[in-house]
Amino acid sequence: MNKVFQVARREFEVTVLNKAFLIGLLIMPAMTAGVVLLIPRVFNERNFKVEGEVRIIDPTGSLTSDLRKTLEKRKDVARRAEEARQALERAPAAVRTIAANAPPAALQNALGPVPEIQLVERKPDADIQQEKAWLIAEKPEVKPLALVVVHADALKPADGKTAYGRYDLYVPPNLDDRADTEIQQSLRDALINARVRARSLDRETIDAIVQIPRVQSVTVTKGTERQTVRAFNFVLPISVAVLLFMGVMTGGQALLTSTVEEKSSRVIEVLLSAVSPMQLMAGKLLGQMAASLLVLGFYIAIGLAMLTSMSLFGLFNPWLILYILIFFVIIYLVFGSLMMAIGAAVNEMREAQGLMMPLMLILMIPWFMWMPISRDPNSLFSIVLSFVPPINTFAMLLRMASNAPPPWWQVWLSIGVGVLSVFAALWFAAKVFRIGLLMYGKPPNVATLIRWARSA
Amino acid sequence: MEAAILLKGVTKAFGKAKAVENLELTVPRGGLYGFIGPNGAGKTTSIRMIMSILFPDSGELSVLGNRSALEAKDRIGYLPEERGVYRKMRVGAFLSYMARLKGVSDTGLQKRIEQSLESVGLGGTQRKRCEELSKGMNQKVQFIAATIHQPDLLILDEPFSGLDPVSSRLLRELVLAQHQRGATILFSTHVMQHAEELCDNVVMMHQGRKVLDERVATIRRRYDPRNIRFEPLAPDADLSPLRLLPEIEKLDHGEGGYEILLVEGTDPATAMRRIVETVSPARIELSRPRLEDVFIKLVSGGLVSEEAKRELQAGLTDNTAKAATL
Repeated sequence: MNKVFQVARREFEVTVLNKAFLIGLLIMPAMTAGVVLLIPRVFNERNFKVEGEVRIIDPTGSLTSDLRKTLEKRKDVARRAEEARQALERAPAAVRTIAANAPPAALQNALGPVPEIQLVERKPDADIQQEKAWLIAEKPEVKPLALVVVHADALKPADGKTAYGRYDLYVPPNLDDRADTEIQQSLRDALINARVRARSLDRETIDAIVQIPRVQSVTVTKGTERQTVRAFNFVLPISVAVLLFMGVMTGGQALLTSTVEEKSSRVIEVLLSAVSPMQLMAGKLLGQMAASLLVLGFYIAIGLAMLTSMSLFGLFNPWLILYILIFFVIIYLVFGSLMMAIGAAVNEMREAQGLMMPLMLILMIPWFMWMPISRDPNSLFSIVLSFVPPINTFAMLLRMASNAPPPWWQVWLSIGVGVLSVFAALWFAAKVFRIGLLMYGKPPNVATLIRWARSA
Repeated sequence: MEAAILLKGVTKAFGKAKAVENLELTVPRGGLYGFIGPNGAGKTTSIRMIMSILFPDSGELSVLGNRSALEAKDRIGYLPEERGVYRKMRVGAFLSYMARLKGVSDTGLQKRIEQSLESVGLGGTQRKRCEELSKGMNQKVQFIAATIHQPDLLILDEPFSGLDPVSSRLLRELVLAQHQRGATILFSTHVMQHAEELCDNVVMMHQGRKVLDERVATIRRRYDPRNIRFEPLAPDADLSPLRLLPEIEKLDHGEGGYEILLVEGTDPATAMRRIVETVSPARIELSRPRLEDVFIKLVSGGLVSEEAKRELQAGLTDNTAKAATL
């Protein structure tokens, strides 16, 4: 046992006390932080101001004044804040929580600068083709934003029809989407106002009638009820699968590399004079497992800290961590031992690629089954996959992290199946490992590995 | 005395090829045995079976009184033919790791490593990475790794392979030091000269079978010398009278002189006296039987062509190693 510990200790130290490990460990949170913090700053709308001239040909005669009022209204800072507040009320709880924790200036920052749009009315019988030429004029005094051509029936349907007319919008090349959106939103608002007035109705009354705040659904399970957070339900299963995948890949890849290195540098036979192949294999597996658990623990801690900071921790079932660890150990031992067997069978990393392909394909399967399992965690498909090793670990964790977790007996049956698959993988890997370690020359194919396992 | 290594009827095949066939071997404790034979004779396979890295298809073996080397690994030092180090690891860390794997406790370990490195002229290299050392230096590190736990049995597979003359001489001294300490030593080589210089006993292998297992002194006695190296005092001396002597079977021009083969059963002392009386010598000496010759004689039964002999000889010599012993 001491020898296994010594091998494991070296494997752990060599892996963890390495710059590449630290960089690999921190790169994911750093990239996430980059996406969350940096990208919005780079692409934030607050850096963009809609500024320029909009020309309108309005045969109705009354939409232009509504549009002018709307554009003025959109310049009103207080009104913008109020509209944003009303929009937030309709948003999911998670978004409301984030907004509530944000500093007061954050809302104004998020809304961006006040647009500066000059509206110029053209004659109703103006030549549209000539007006369009303005959009592509060289060196205009004011930047052209759009030409709006309102249809005559835009405020009142034509006789015998129920549908309203619309407007045509002509824009210069390379107009920013955000300017296009601003203009269309203003036109929409102005059109509604004009149509409502044409019918002698009250806009505020209609707004009140159509206003239905978003309701927080409540997930009812046996014995408990909890608020449904759709984004959370969507993100949690895939996060758990990503965690498992990363842990397995980190450990498996390191095992493959270190075994190939030991074999190619011919240190393997020196080691075999001191430890048996099984002790070596067990030590390497345990050492890398400890390193992978460190990675896993680090990411789980970051995840929990994020949940706590967003006041979403209450939605998370802490027992899930235990099951993540159990399923991780299962899938790690299966893949780790097989990766190590491949490492022992080949002479250099290049030769390992072909043998790794089937394992990589198996690891890809969970990404294809994520959506169907997350949508219907208790379908026959989901249940069957929960018992097919080695992907049962991913399937069961996806189900457990969903909003309709499976019954406990299915979880433990899946763990039992996983444990059996671990024994099978260890048996196979141990035989290949023992033979492969001292085999040099032509790299074997999968059929040869199977023959080794049967003959050993 | 209980044998350090005992092999009874050990056979190992890889597919249809028999690497070792019915090998019987007894290495007594404290012995210094040479396992010799050309490449592919079965030496490494036999050693790997002794080390329980490979397992025999049939037969029995015992190592230091155990049925498997696995039960006595901490008492065995092993320097494999295919050997290496962790290139990125520091020398001190590598030796500590190997020592711990061999059951050496941490108490005094650093000092022991320091002393061992000093003894091979590698003092101060503990903090260096193995990849920073030359090949010869790394081989010394590997030898220390094999002996850091002061094993009762030291098995060295082709230890001189690839060594320069100075390193080769140093390694020979280190091996003898281990033997003087009391360790049983078994080493393999395809260069017979190394075995001649070091061993008490040689075990010759050929095509997976043992062809000789004798003390070196006994071999020398048994393979009675019939060859005399002769150089006449006058370079243009007439040697034809020598051919008429009844003791001489054959006279050939050899390297730097002549090779004289005596008639079987002739007393070499009498023959040498007769030769000196017939032609004045600049040099005359009895040629000692070389293991190489013994081996060729054994495997060929004397019925072997000159070409086959040359092939066998090529497999039993190593130019690098030869240079090392000059």
